Amino acid sequence: MKALLEHLGLDVVVPPYSSKRTLSLGVQHAPEFACLPLKINLGNLIEARELGADAFIMAGGVGPCRFGLYAQLEKEILYDLGYTYESLVLEPPDMGILKFLKEVRQIIGTVSWWRVWQSVRIAYRKAYLIDELERVLQELRPREVVKGTADRIFSFSLSTIDRAKNNDDLNEAFGLAKQKLLHVPTDDNQIILKIGLVGEIYTLLEPFASLEIEKKLGYLGAHVNRSLYLSEWINEHLFHGFLGKKNMNRQFKDYSYPFLNHFVGGHGQESIGASVAFAKEGYDGIVQLAPLTCMPEIVAHTIFPKVTKECGIPVLTIYLDEQMGQEGVNTRLEAFTDLLRKKRALLDPLRTIC
Amino acid sequence: MGEKTEGDGILKYRIGIPRAVMYYQFGTIWKSFFHTMDTEVIVSGETNKKILDEGATRVVDEACLPVKVYFGHAMQLAREEVDFLFIPRLVSIEKKAFICPKLMGLPDMLSAGKSSLPPLIKPTLNLVKSESRLEDFLQDIAKSLSFDKKKTRQAWHLAQGVYNKEMESKRRSFLENQIDCPGLTTIFLAAHPYLIHDRFLNLNIVDKLKKMGCRVILPEEIPPEVQNAELSCLRKPLFWSFGKMQLGSVRFIARQPGAKGIIILSSFGCGIDSFIDNMVVRYLKKMGVPYLNIILDEHSGAAGLDTRIEAFLDMLRWKESKDEDYVSTYGSYLGCDEGTARASGAGCSSTTLFQ
Ligand code: SF4
Ligand code: SF4
Repeated sequence: MKALLEHLGLDVVVPPYSSKRTLSLGVQHAPEFACLPLKINLGNLIEARELGADAFIMAGGVGPCRFGLYAQLEKEILYDLGYTYESLVLEPPDMGILKFLKEVRQIIGTVSWWRVWQSVRIAYRKAYLIDELERVLQELRPREVVKGTADRIFSFSLSTIDRAKNNDDLNEAFGLAKQKLLHVPTDDNQIILKIGLVGEIYTLLEPFASLEIEKKLGYLGAHVNRSLYLSEWINEHLFHGFLGKKNMNRQFKDYSYPFLNHFVGGHGQESIGASVAFAKEGYDGIVQLAPLTCMPEIVAHTIFPKVTKECGIPVLTIYLDEQMGQEGVNTRLEAFTDLLRKKRALLDPLRTIC
Repeated sequence: MGEKTEGDGILKYRIGIPRAVMYYQFGTIWKSFFHTMDTEVIVSGETNKKILDEGATRVVDEACLPVKVYFGHAMQLAREEVDFLFIPRLVSIEKKAFICPKLMGLPDMLSAGKSSLPPLIKPTLNLVKSESRLEDFLQDIAKSLSFDKKKTRQAWHLAQGVYNKEMESKRRSFLENQIDCPGLTTIFLAAHPYLIHDRFLNLNIVDKLKKMGCRVILPEEIPPEVQNAELSCLRKPLFWSFGKMQLGSVRFIARQPGAKGIIILSSFGCGIDSFIDNMVVRYLKKMGVPYLNIILDEHSGAAGLDTRIEAFLDMLRWKESKDEDYVSTYGSYLGCDEGTARASGAGCSSTTLFQ
């Protein structure tokens, strides 16, 4: 998003990375029982405001889950706080990306459509390449000799990719990052668990929200794969698959049968489907992440015992909220990976596959 | 069963319907529909502690109260020798609005449980795109119970017609009467239907209020057209039927002349109310209408509730006796045009409650 708008010549204020302060600002002003993403998002908006932003851009939706109402509720809360914000809400499917860009164009004056298209392309490519690097990173975390090396390279590359203004710069930044990652020394003589991470999108994609569970699992010796990556989500939700590349979610939905036969908002159905798919591919376990009170994930959570029983894959569900402590999560993750190791030892080499 | 009923049809099946969640809204339709289709209907008993406890063991802790209770009712019916359980998947009951993600997943959540249940009849009702999709729902039912399609349709429309008439007359009488009755304190109870009508879950709040000298108004008495008109100023339409009902009716009541208090009742862990109630409260604060927010969970005790209600009523009556006439503030905010918002916000801040 940021890349897109900057390319169009807008001055973009990116809220500082979500921090404790972001969260506490959000918690202070959001409804107590709202889901975590709303709280963090609200905190982001308040912080961006402090940095001088006067308009915000968000994705919307028409239900059935709460996300579709985020922008509206936030506007009201901000209004009551005395902040007036212009807002631009992307509302698929009523409002396609074209209409959105038209509105952006209205704010910043005329820009040729060619330039707009270029911006969209480059913004999407950035997201896509970052996801590529993340997959390499996920593979490296359990294997690298010095823990944290790959993560350091990755976060450095994020900024070089972010700075890239055109395709050439971008390719160079990406190529360099990938080379560096491929040269991280690894220890290949250990047992690597394979864990599928599923759940609500925000907690999956925002490490701050999930207390960096993905990283933690990596350091505990697990190769983690997620059910969702940012570029897939952008492509599917905002561009209706316009940017090419087949989307995984459609397939995940097929796998959710017979456990969950109807969409339940959010990513509940994908969580089930992806878990079944991971089980079929021989993963050792599933970790489900969800904000506390998240409706679709509660549905999925209730159904997981059946998936475990029929596909033989253990599932650990972690609900996240502002009161989560690091230690509690660490212990649970350790216990879970231990369990998976024991199970692996019992079953290997005759792994039963669903 | 082989017994004959008046309608001279043979009773084909015994079908169980949990007395929970959407039963409280549509139970009369379902019952009379199945009756016309010569099917015996067994409705589980009123909610009690045992039903709640049993239900709670079957769902994850994080689920909300009504869902837990629903599970309890389903399990009670499982012991009743019914041939089927009627567990409709109610996705949407009107265009452009959903009910609740959790209710959309009910049949799947139920069948994921450990203990065995009778076969589920789980037709999907989804009118989000068009009301004509009711046909799919009926087809689903006809197919799973091998009913005659045409007869199914007729029976449904008959049942629905009776229900609609009943609701209409209820609403008409509401509109014809004044909101405040002399000598009674007017209370509007903003809550989902299953909280209002399940006397166990709501700790019998309706009767309690009546005994304490209140006139209780319920959201269902306010015609949907009125609710929708109240919501038409929202910049983005709400997409939850419960939310529309709640916010629309509260806005309507808040603007009626006369003294009144609003009690907002919701279940712990309800995703929808976490947002809607916040909007409602923001609105009421601006309008200076007194409100009481009650969140129910498994451990809610009657004593605590009584004290809170008493205090609230005392406050209302004291306010009334001071003859502080609530000048109804026109102009409203809630997603409306910012200009009027500022004006009305400033205009009524002096009457804000709980200063
Ligand atoms: S999916 Fe979960 S986190 Fe997202 S809006 Fe819905 S309840 Fe909130
Ligand atoms: S509307 Fe709220 S209380 Fe009702 S089932 Fe959904 S989450 Fe639970």
